[in-house]
Amino acid sequence: MPEILVDNLTHTFGKGEPGALTVLDKINLTFESGSFNSIIGTSGCGKSTLLKMMAGLFTPSDGQMTLDGEVIEGTDRRRGMVFQQDAVFPWMTVAKNISYGPRLRGASKAEQSEIEAKWTEMVGLRGFEDRWPRELSGGMRKRVDIGRVYANDPDVLLMDEPFGALDAQTKERMQSDLLTTWQKSKKTVVFVTHDIEEAIFLSDKIIVLSSRPGRVHHIEEVSLPRPRNDEMRLTEEFLAIKRRLWGMLDH
Amino acid sequence: MALLHSLRSRRLWLGALSIATVFGVYIWITNQPDNNPALLPPILDILASFKTNLTSGSLLTALGASLFRIAMGFFIGTTLALIVGCLVGWYKTVEYLLDPLIEALRPIPPLAYIPIIIIWFGIGEFSRVLIITIACFMVCVVNVIAGMKNVPQVYVDAASTMGASRFQVFRTVAVPAATPFIITGYRIALAAAWTTLVASELLAAQNGLGFLLQEGRRYFLTDQVMMIIVIIGGCAFIMDRIFRKIQAHLMQWSEARE
Repeated sequence: MPEILVDNLTHTFGKGEPGALTVLDKINLTFESGSFNSIIGTSGCGKSTLLKMMAGLFTPSDGQMTLDGEVIEGTDRRRGMVFQQDAVFPWMTVAKNISYGPRLRGASKAEQSEIEAKWTEMVGLRGFEDRWPRELSGGMRKRVDIGRVYANDPDVLLMDEPFGALDAQTKERMQSDLLTTWQKSKKTVVFVTHDIEEAIFLSDKIIVLSSRPGRVHHIEEVSLPRPRNDEMRLTEEFLAIKRRLWGMLDH
Repeated sequence: MALLHSLRSRRLWLGALSIATVFGVYIWITNQPDNNPALLPPILDILASFKTNLTSGSLLTALGASLFRIAMGFFIGTTLALIVGCLVGWYKTVEYLLDPLIEALRPIPPLAYIPIIIIWFGIGEFSRVLIITIACFMVCVVNVIAGMKNVPQVYVDAASTMGASRFQVFRTVAVPAATPFIITGYRIALAAAWTTLVASELLAAQNGLGFLLQEGRRYFLTDQVMMIIVIIGGCAFIMDRIFRKIQAHLMQWSEARE
């Protein structure tokens, strides 16, 4: 089963040059297979950088990361990513976006339609298959994005503040729906956010990074029962975690 | 829907109005008693010239020759521009190799090549097509390069993390993302093709619309000159319209259609 290990990872932008900036300092982390993990920290703590390295979008200057013991180098469909920005391809319909990954690997028309049907349903976009992304709201486009990554069937799901640009209500709805989808497939998720409540609601484990350079400041195990529901956001246990983490982030 | 319809028809009406005004003013001027028809031929003379040239077959021959040159120059020029532009815009090595060259050649107006082309290749069909090809290539390639360079990084990253190879990213992401720029490049190339066509035919041709213009000047047939100008304007306009239709079809996905 896929397990990610971050092994003594340090990243310095412009290493060896004057004005070099260390953004991540000796990070050691384990993400257990099938778990939901969040990384929180104030802006500039290097959390997005760490996630992009897991995706293989760039290489750390020191240390390494492994997925199932294999060193992570370059991008791979096993490590899917949902970006903060809108990454839905505007020149493809919703359905074509969803089946993009399988199509890359030469899936037949029948396989593609099957995947399109399954994942538009799963992310709640049934009836929108033939729409252009420009016709959808921001929240719906994010659903396309998530459906597309799921339809590509990665082992690990990396999410970089995916709901950051959505309004509060849409955001809570998307969080619940994400958990429902995740519960059905149990992929390892690493979720970056600066929203404490979002992290608690979603995660088994929350990693708090300190800023400049980013170091692992605290690891919070969240033992709220699953499946989770919105009422839990107001329980004493939830709020206690929230208070604890809130104190750790420098406001 | 009603609003859209009224907007579209308003646009149509206003466009027709401005053209009608120009015609009206022209007819009014040419009807003045002191108008010199050798300088401003009346509309009827222009129509008569149209009829004469049409029945003698000289107009269709000229139009055919010119359209052939445009088609060849446009097709070859834009195809080369698409290939070179994609390579320069997508592969750093090719960019470093060719970009300075393209930038150096870009400010040179295509017509400046006419003397050297005549010296090298004479005044035959090849030279005329070559000039149009150069003009189409230069204006189009710049747009293709710009399009490839403006592909949003997040699309490239998204495709890569879904397992797309560098070439697959190019084919499935970079080219479609650059389509708006590429189509614009094609449209500008079409306009450039007309501009250089007439210039090349004015200088050295035995047929074509530019030749008829030159002939009209030589024999003081102002009505013929006017007639050809209208024909060129009309042809270029129709072609651009067709292009816009193609563009609207290809760009259904875009926020900024039209």
